[in-house]
Amino acid sequence: MNRGSSSENFRRVLGRVAPPDFVGRTEELAAVMAHAAPENAGRGLLLLMEPSAGVSELLRQAYDRIFNQRTEVIPIYFAFTRNETTAVSAAIEFLNTFLQQYIAFRRNEPFVSNATLTLHDLLELAPPADHEWVEQLVQSYARLRFSNDDKALVRFCLGAPQRIPVRSGRPLIMLDGAQLAEYLNGAVVLGTEVLRVFGRGGFTFVLAGLRRQILEAAHEAECNFELLDLLRLKRLDAKEASLLVEHVAQRQHVVTSEAARDLLVQQFAGSPFFINIFLQAAREKRVALTSYLDCERLYVDELFGGHLHRHFAYLLEEISPRLETRHLLIRLLWEAAAGEDQVSSFEVWRKRLHLTAGELQDVLHRLHVQEFVNWDGTTVEAGTGPQAWKDYLKIRYRLDVHGEPRALVVADALADALKRAPHTMARHYKQIARVSLRDLVSRFNTQRVPQVLFDYATFARKYKGLEPDRLASDLDAETEQFKLPQTVHLASCVAFNSDMRQISEDERCLVAHTFEDGVYSDAQEVVWLVADLESKLEVDIEVARAWIERFESLAGRLGFSRFQIWLISNEGFTEDAGRLLSRRKALSSSRRQLELLAARISETPVNSVVHSGEEANEFLVVVPMGEDNELIAASTAEQIAKRLTFRPEAINQIKTAIVEACINASEHSFSPDRKIYQRFRLESDRLVVTISSRGVVPTNLNGASGHSDTTEAAEERRGWGLKLIRTLMDEVEFERVDDGTSLRMTKYVRDTAS
Amino acid sequence: MDKPNAPLVRSHCVGTTAVVYASDYLNKLTGEKIERECRRQLDCGCRALVIDFSDTKLVNSIGISILLGIIDVAEKSGARIVFSEVNNQTVQLFEMLGLTRHVALAKDEHEALLTLSGFQTTPIVH
Repeated sequence: MNRGSSSENFRRVLGRVAPPDFVGRTEELAAVMAHAAPENAGRGLLLLMEPSAGVSELLRQAYDRIFNQRTEVIPIYFAFTRNETTAVSAAIEFLNTFLQQYIAFRRNEPFVSNATLTLHDLLELAPPADHEWVEQLVQSYARLRFSNDDKALVRFCLGAPQRIPVRSGRPLIMLDGAQLAEYLNGAVVLGTEVLRVFGRGGFTFVLAGLRRQILEAAHEAECNFELLDLLRLKRLDAKEASLLVEHVAQRQHVVTSEAARDLLVQQFAGSPFFINIFLQAAREKRVALTSYLDCERLYVDELFGGHLHRHFAYLLEEISPRLETRHLLIRLLWEAAAGEDQVSSFEVWRKRLHLTAGELQDVLHRLHVQEFVNWDGTTVEAGTGPQAWKDYLKIRYRLDVHGEPRALVVADALADALKRAPHTMARHYKQIARVSLRDLVSRFNTQRVPQVLFDYATFARKYKGLEPDRLASDLDAETEQFKLPQTVHLASCVAFNSDMRQISEDERCLVAHTFEDGVYSDAQEVVWLVADLESKLEVDIEVARAWIERFESLAGRLGFSRFQIWLISNEGFTEDAGRLLSRRKALSSSRRQLELLAARISETPVNSVVHSGEEANEFLVVVPMGEDNELIAASTAEQIAKRLTFRPEAINQIKTAIVEACINASEHSFSPDRKIYQRFRLESDRLVVTISSRGVVPTNLNGASGHSDTTEAAEERRGWGLKLIRTLMDEVEFERVDDGTSLRMTKYVRDTAS
Repeated sequence: MDKPNAPLVRSHCVGTTAVVYASDYLNKLTGEKIERECRRQLDCGCRALVIDFSDTKLVNSIGISILLGIIDVAEKSGARIVFSEVNNQTVQLFEMLGLTRHVALAKDEHEALLTLSGFQTTPIVH
């Protein structure tokens, strides 16, 4: 919920909801408000929106707040609408809106923003200090209006805010629905003109539009990207979306139950746009939403003839204005989405739609912008888009293409929606309860974990049935460790092969590109192929074999020269399956192992150089190399170590190890900044010291123990330093970072007896 | 700690034995100073060396490698060498790096001198 505007004097101007009812976009609103700050003068902010993510109310809320702040910033909000059919009419509407909002602000009279006023009315309302320039603006407009130079008129209207005298303030232009500007008829492409005028004219502006379109438009308009900031608007998460449903339902006087609320959140995937129009429909039809049946009845009504229907119908009309082509398009889209082969070529689409290459490019571009397909210029992948879009397509396909009786299609649609609802919620509940595999694999960053967490058979033999405390302590004592690779790219298997969609959910089958030891070389590159198998029992050998072969085939097709298969199953794997997995060098884990792994990874510090000692038990010290400065580090460590109950000998060992680590960093890193970065982190039972430096990494400086046989004194000393560190500390690990090395050393507190 | 321009390490002679005192931190710089002083004493005719570590709290691997060099120089000169009053932590480091195979350790300077003068044939090792 957004606060900070609940003053009694706050006046709502354009906002459709009171500030306390505006939920779920706190950070984005703060970003827009921050964009109005003087230091951002002359900069543009592009709001890159996921389709149906909703942005209008965000901008209106920002407008109201800026209006109420009464600073030198003059808010101007303009939404492109489908009512304007040409660039000229949209630009004229912009001019009118601009003047109206400017005068409302200058007069400090919010109602002027919403009144129906002509330019002449506005001229009369203009404050005396503004009268002269407003009059000149209106006169110039009148001359250009009938000059037959549409481009000049459009630029004149859009550039009008530049005429505001500096003494009167500086405008913040907020443009909403920029995607509509591309489709206006006429010789002038308004979207490009908008970006040309605002992107080059020194304006402070916010431009909201579909993410796939707006960046492309900015490039086409040759905007200066150094003056552009980007903000991505996604759909709301479940918690925020639930709050939104509650607020909107209350505002619309729609009775809802918690179950219905949660269903709407999941069914509309947290889209503020869909949630708002759906609850608006509930109010209009005076229906309560207290059961799945209530929700799905209204949903189907909406798809057949309500707001949802109109929304998708408008979009389809924009994408394909010709009725004949639209029918072919519906057929093609639905058959592709419903079939197994969702990817087809541009040529196939051209033949099916009977379009020229240019016409098809236009259609595909628009479908791609709305994210109804993924088009890379060569191939087209259908089957994307929100569930409501897929349901709408299916209905239209059955009605328009097959000519099935409407009553039958309605009944089937309702039955399908009702049958799907419990599955939708079940999937959501499972996701909440389940460790996120994607999150887990994405956090692989050269941490060391017990090897047994990747070997179900051994885990079952040693740990099955143990109490959690005992399990944890025994795992701590595991000597065989597995060093995780560093994940650099992670995607669903479906992204590599759409056939995988038939076999597994997106989030349960992943392809992770990784590097062992975080070293970016061919030899260290390994692709992890990970699947979380749905099974209530131990997975048997046949299923395990099928997955291994599936992954091996995928790896072969995609040219993965080194790959690692990792299969996960709730209850693990049968003995036969375990033996097969072992023979095929595949890793295997049960849900329990996965949870233990997740807990350990979250405990393990990663990117130690990045963390800046914000926690109470972390200390960051940076010293220049040389001048015996390693003693400063050693003394610091001594003081910190005294906070735990380290024995004096242990403290000396820590100090010596730190001295050696600093010497190594100084002698061998070829550091550009000649600095040593030391982080000390106290935990309940250990001190973790990380010594990092920037620079070239010596080729023989790695995690291997022992020292070089070389007779050169320097090499010998280096070997000694590492040997000492390894002997004095309990855990020692080198991490190669992008620009240098990091040595992490851990010393555990032990009682005197041990 | 020693500064770069500080005078050479403290030392004195007892008969033909030179006693050289290591500073609180044995590193490359202070190690080289000890080495220089030991060489000087050997050149002056000393037949035995005692390096006293009573002030030494911290040593690093470079300092230890220099000590090995000093042991080597002493051996080549036919001189005996004893390290005295080495703290336990430093003894551990010497052991880890094999120094104690080449040098006798004495509890203190007095014991070191006794060892070298032949009154005690077996040095007391901590």
